[in-house]
Amino acid sequence: MSDTASPELRLEVKQLILETLKFDDVEPDEVDDDALLFDEDAGLGIDSVDALEIVAALQRKYGARIDDQNIGRFIIRSVATIADFVHCHQQGVPYVPPDAEEA
Amino acid sequence: MTAMEFKHKMAAHCETGTIAALMAHAGQELSEPMIFGIGGGIFFGYLKTPSFKFPMIVTRTEPGKIRKKIQKRLGASFRTHTFRKPEKAEAALDELVGKGIPTAVQVDMFYMDYIPEYMRAHFNGHYVVVVGKQGSTYRVSDVYYPRISDLSAESMRKGRFALGQLAPKGFLFYPRKIPALGDLRKPIIKGIKEACFNMLSLPIPFLGVRGIRTFAKKVVDWPTLARDEDHLSHEIMMIHVTMEDRGTGGAGFRFMYASFLQQAAEALDNGALAELSKEMMGIGDRWREVSIHTARMGKRREFSRDKLEELKGMILARADEEERFFRALRKAVK
Repeated sequence: MSDTASPELRLEVKQLILETLKFDDVEPDEVDDDALLFDEDAGLGIDSVDALEIVAALQRKYGARIDDQNIGRFIIRSVATIADFVHCHQQGVPYVPPDAEEA
Repeated sequence: MTAMEFKHKMAAHCETGTIAALMAHAGQELSEPMIFGIGGGIFFGYLKTPSFKFPMIVTRTEPGKIRKKIQKRLGASFRTHTFRKPEKAEAALDELVGKGIPTAVQVDMFYMDYIPEYMRAHFNGHYVVVVGKQGSTYRVSDVYYPRISDLSAESMRKGRFALGQLAPKGFLFYPRKIPALGDLRKPIIKGIKEACFNMLSLPIPFLGVRGIRTFAKKVVDWPTLARDEDHLSHEIMMIHVTMEDRGTGGAGFRFMYASFLQQAAEALDNGALAELSKEMMGIGDRWREVSIHTARMGKRREFSRDKLEELKGMILARADEEERFFRALRKAVK
């Protein structure tokens, strides 16, 4: 089993983010999968309220509840990290932030 | 001096996560939700006293109380110290770490500069475990960060002696005795009964379920307490920050309590607790809707009477369901 999300899932997540935050003037291919979403230049310049809206949208669409906001901070980091989290949820395995130490 | 072997693990809340890490180091594995539940951590308070410039809400018992309850209910013992002088605080920490004792210190999170700047804020009630020192650099296990990190002695000193509300005053604690975990049934039931008492029976209108109702009724008048729109926006958004962004695990510790009840159901072989765990998860989801509502209000500066009444209604509904929930929980462990 791959531990990273497919390009299709990344695109789906990207569309969900843009719809949730009502970024109508941004096309999915304008958003770099690995860009920090909080970054105003490279990412979308989101704030903590936007992050919470994304958390709620992930739960509505995928049933994926983020119930530890410290790990949540590492999930709501980029399109890639969010898609990886959804992928882990769909596979029924816990999400581990990329730079976490081995448990 | 080198770093000791220490198993690092992320956690939702710094106090419970730190206690869990220290216990695990002593060979006694107990999950973070179990520590929270046995420690009777779930709570609600609407606080307005002369020392607060604006009303505030709390969703757990006061800092340090979970540690004290864990000591009492599990027979553990933690030694604590506070200091007036930074030099003495540093010397005491270095001595403990030099002896190979992982030591928890209270800090202002802002100075924990291994955490990216955009994630840091001034908060004096944060705990990290110091697990080593090399020259003038500490090795720090912080449950909010994915791995053990380096922190300069200077940043550590600033963090341990930050001023303001909940000033750490160099506070540290370390385990003196962690006994083998025996039968957890009694400690779990005591923790649950304490939570039910705190939420249902405290005869004070601003604590427990009554506190949730007071919060609902008072929040509609917050515009009269605020200096201006900026101030009101900040205070309304603090509801969201308190519920979702202050080491609560989300939804003001309600998700963590649901996890505790799930584990308690298995330990006690009690099906009613498993059902109540699911119910608490749903209550958490609906508290999260309150957070989102307040976050939107603050961000969009929507403070009309209608919006505030809508918020009041949402909070009153949470009070009603938490009252039903804790009555059922009390019955489940009678």
